[in-house]
Amino acid sequence: MSNSSARRAAPTPPPPVHSAKDTERENARTLSGLRRLGGPWLWLAMGAPLLGGILLVAQAWTLAAIVGEVIQQGADINALTPAIALVLILLLARAALAAIGDRAGTAASEAIKSSVRQMLFAQLLARSPRAARQPPSGAASSAIIDQVEALDGFFARYMPAMVQAGFLPLAFGAFILPLDWLAGLLFLVTAPLIPVFMALVGWGAQHASDRQARALSLLNGRFADRLRGLTTLKLFGQAEAEIAGIVAASDELRHRTLRVLRIAFLSSAVLEFFAALGVAGIALYVGLTFIDFLHLRSTPLTLELGLFLLLMAPEVYNPLRLLAAHYHDRAAAKAAIGEIETQLGHMPTDLVSLAPAAPSGNAGALGLTLSNFTLRTPDHARVILNNASLNIAAGDTVAIVGQSGIGKSSLLETIVRLRTHEGQIILGEQALADWPEADLRQGVAMLGQKPRIFAGSIADNIALACPDASAAEIRSAAERAQVTGFADSLPEGLDTVLGEGGLGLSGGQAQRIALARIFLRDPGMILLDEPTAHLDAALEQVVLDTLLAFARGRTLIIATHSLAVAARMGHAYRIAGESLLATPVRASSSRSVA
Amino acid sequence: MNALLAFRSLFARQAKGLLIALLLSLVTLTAGVALLGTSGWFITATALTTAGLAFNLFVPSSLVRGFSFIRILARYGERLSGHDATLRLLTDIRGWLFKRLFPRLPLNDRSLRHGDLVSRLTADVDALDTAFLVAIGPIAAAAVIGIALTTILTWMLPAAALVYGVSFGMAVLLVPAGLVLASRRVGTDIVTRAAAARAAVLDGIEGHADLTLFGALGRTQTGFQSLAERLARARGRLATLAAFAAFGVQALAALALTGSLWLGLRAYANGQIDGPVLVGLLLAILGSFEASSVIVRSVAKLTTAMAAAERLNAIANAPISVADPINPVDLPARLPIAITDLNFAYDGGAPVLRKLNLAIAPGEHIAIIGESGIGKSSLLNLLLRLVEPQSGQITLGGVALSALAQADIHASMALLSQDSPLFNDTIRANLLIAQPAASDEALWDALDAAGIGEFVRALPRGLDTLVGESGRTVSAGQGRRLCLARVLLSRAPIVLLDEPTTGLDRPAELAFFDTMRSAAVGRTVILVTHAAFPQGTVDRVLSMRDGRLHAIDTPIALEN
Repeated sequence: MSNSSARRAAPTPPPPVHSAKDTERENARTLSGLRRLGGPWLWLAMGAPLLGGILLVAQAWTLAAIVGEVIQQGADINALTPAIALVLILLLARAALAAIGDRAGTAASEAIKSSVRQMLFAQLLARSPRAARQPPSGAASSAIIDQVEALDGFFARYMPAMVQAGFLPLAFGAFILPLDWLAGLLFLVTAPLIPVFMALVGWGAQHASDRQARALSLLNGRFADRLRGLTTLKLFGQAEAEIAGIVAASDELRHRTLRVLRIAFLSSAVLEFFAALGVAGIALYVGLTFIDFLHLRSTPLTLELGLFLLLMAPEVYNPLRLLAAHYHDRAAAKAAIGEIETQLGHMPTDLVSLAPAAPSGNAGALGLTLSNFTLRTPDHARVILNNASLNIAAGDTVAIVGQSGIGKSSLLETIVRLRTHEGQIILGEQALADWPEADLRQGVAMLGQKPRIFAGSIADNIALACPDASAAEIRSAAERAQVTGFADSLPEGLDTVLGEGGLGLSGGQAQRIALARIFLRDPGMILLDEPTAHLDAALEQVVLDTLLAFARGRTLIIATHSLAVAARMGHAYRIAGESLLATPVRASSSRSVA
Repeated sequence: MNALLAFRSLFARQAKGLLIALLLSLVTLTAGVALLGTSGWFITATALTTAGLAFNLFVPSSLVRGFSFIRILARYGERLSGHDATLRLLTDIRGWLFKRLFPRLPLNDRSLRHGDLVSRLTADVDALDTAFLVAIGPIAAAAVIGIALTTILTWMLPAAALVYGVSFGMAVLLVPAGLVLASRRVGTDIVTRAAAARAAVLDGIEGHADLTLFGALGRTQTGFQSLAERLARARGRLATLAAFAAFGVQALAALALTGSLWLGLRAYANGQIDGPVLVGLLLAILGSFEASSVIVRSVAKLTTAMAAAERLNAIANAPISVADPINPVDLPARLPIAITDLNFAYDGGAPVLRKLNLAIAPGEHIAIIGESGIGKSSLLNLLLRLVEPQSGQITLGGVALSALAQADIHASMALLSQDSPLFNDTIRANLLIAQPAASDEALWDALDAAGIGEFVRALPRGLDTLVGESGRTVSAGQGRRLCLARVLLSRAPIVLLDEPTTGLDRPAELAFFDTMRSAAVGRTVILVTHAAFPQGTVDRVLSMRDGRLHAIDTPIALEN
């Protein structure tokens, strides 16, 4: 577990800055690196169409032979019935191969997307929640859900199409060459030229794709952000303005998307052009040879061979057309990789396990010593504490006071290793950095200032602290945190389902539910950030009574504005002038300063 | 399907663009079929001809070239116009959806999680584009091609017309319909599972600190793993159905081709059809299945679009809990507030307010105190008419709230709620929400009044500083004061403050109460708080108990 603590403490590596070309290549490499996650399905998806291509030649050959023999040589139809049956069988076999290939492509792409999502999510959670570069939640969820979805086409369709385009036209050309050198040559020369033209056209497509991916990400981020405060916007009469803003952002996305598509479609038009030219050229060549206008062959051309050439002409170009149709899947996937890495950092190659090892047992009350301790804001813009020191004995109760915004919350979060710092923190017997993750979480419990209420029942939310807790234990914790006071008047009591983010609760109620989580733990140190901020004076005292009783035999540190809270602690320290100063607390026994 | 039909008026607005795309796709397909047919006829005719160089080359060869170019140009135009119309449609849908959403706020449905709502407004809207672009359009075009070719066959090769017509009809209509029916449930699964996975990511990020502190990250990871795998399985199921359907279409094409071949050759042997014409028709049949091959892939997406449409309709058609009057009364100039015998309870919950009475004169400042969760915030919501009381009446300027336009009510009151949000934008943009035309001077005045002017002045980028999502770059107390500045900036004559000093230290709290008096002079103030405030902060203090308000004569009583 010690490697995990090192990981948490390490600052998030910023994505490397490269030239556009480098990034482009880097994204393509990352993308092909993900192939291994697809497993054997990807091979099946790429192999099935190749086999189908071979069957296609046999099918065209048989079909041309049937028609040629009947029409040019007047063969008996009944004798050809087996050949017609063979055509049917070949057609059905090809249909089956195509279906198998498609299904395997989806299987590969789903396996890849599911793994990538899990790796990204794990990487995101493995970093410190207070890292300066943590992405906004809307953008991160859009990256993990929508941008990863944009990888789908690359693996399910583009890769099989690429293999077909690289192999089939050349194989068809090589097969036709000995039958008719001119047609064979035409196919062999034009087919490889097409990707060159496409690359020229697709060159600009990547840039446009990147900008489109960025616009999509911005739009989704905007939705996530604005949806949080729609009611506020409505009350300020901003509904119309917000609708106009959303329509404008959406229209901007349309413009960018069309810019991508115009180029993407141009590259497929180039292919259509060659494919049509191929069909028309073969038709004219065969026709002119039949009427003896052209004499390029040493042997006379049969209708059978002429038909075969005509049937094969569109098929030679078909794999390339397929590739062109899926060409922007590749551009979209590369752009998605770029966007994912912008939001979430480098694409991980392994799934980080976040499951903690079993904690090694209870350590009892924990003391805390800070020395040469310097703390900065995550962006390093401001120093919160400079070379400060602090000594808290095991079992003590301590208040941290100071103006709002001075850094009380940051200090508490540093003690639980959510933030980086300079200098030394000794927790209990050992340095904070040496604490195994599981032991630290078991030994220290903390209630933040804005605790998250998850969608689920009140009981579920309390049980976050201890998933194995019995209903009775949860009830007792709820009673101690004064949750039952309001929960019991609800029709379903503690089983009442809460909205995400505590929708339907007052601020004080949400805080008390989060507080109840603490009572389900058995920590050696308790850190509370403004636990009574939303409570009235009477309730504040009741909660403090329970807390102090619970804190017996443990160390309690509370960051607070409330003098009433500070007055009941053993010691108090004030953050002022980048230092921690001991401050008297028992002088005033009242909340009021009047 | 009904859910999709609900969007038809929005589709109709883009009818022109969509129709052009449809026509161009018809031209593309027709040119492709004609190109193959003409080529087949041409080479067979030349192979059989005895005319030699006298054979009329000009017409067929120019037809072949002409069809080729028509096909290329039509395809390009079709794709561009189709995508343009579809993207315009998506913009329309987004605007429409928000227009429907605003009157329904705040949403009653607690199960509608934030992440789910984001999914609905982004991914679900996007899923609708497939409805036309890749499903309805190709089916319509394929049907037209199929009917045309069947008609030609009836005329030239009647024996094959039936086989071809039936096979093609089944491939274009029956198989897609079967796929839609079979994949309805899995389409819904995909959409809901993707939304659940998104909500899990949002929960993971927004609750990241709590999950870390309680060592719950491992459980969160396992939970997400099963969500991601369930989503992948649902997509896999859809792919299996689509693969069967694709095989079905290709098998029908195989039957149509071999059937026509067998019957056609018989007709040829009996002298009922010309050789070149037969070959031309056979190649045309082969070409026509190009139209049907794209359908399956598109239809596979249609069910996802239908599920998405249902979810969008669920928001757009949620009942409006508070409706505007048909002929709203104009807002009077003076706005005393009078509440009489107000009874209120949340749906199915215990009564919150019981026969509550309150009268506030314009410009009066009152404070309402009481235990947390007792109903103070509910009273403010009732004043704003965000919720409706079960009985009793609230009047504003002597007019019942229900007779006023909600926009007027909201314009007359500015609310600082307990969960007032800051948006991921600059400080300036966050303030301007309250009064879009405000000058910088007015912004600074509001910031100073909220006691945060100094802090903002010290920032390198001042008013242009980005606040970050949920005010992440400022502390909770600073964020609160920015929200307060926003409220003070608004011109509303009535100011509602719900626990305005949460997150402020005692000196800042006192400073706030001090400035509130002067900053809100001339405005009505309703202050809901449990913080002790100095005497003289407000004109009147009321305590809420048992769903009613009780006058407290001496604010000093608070201090014990």
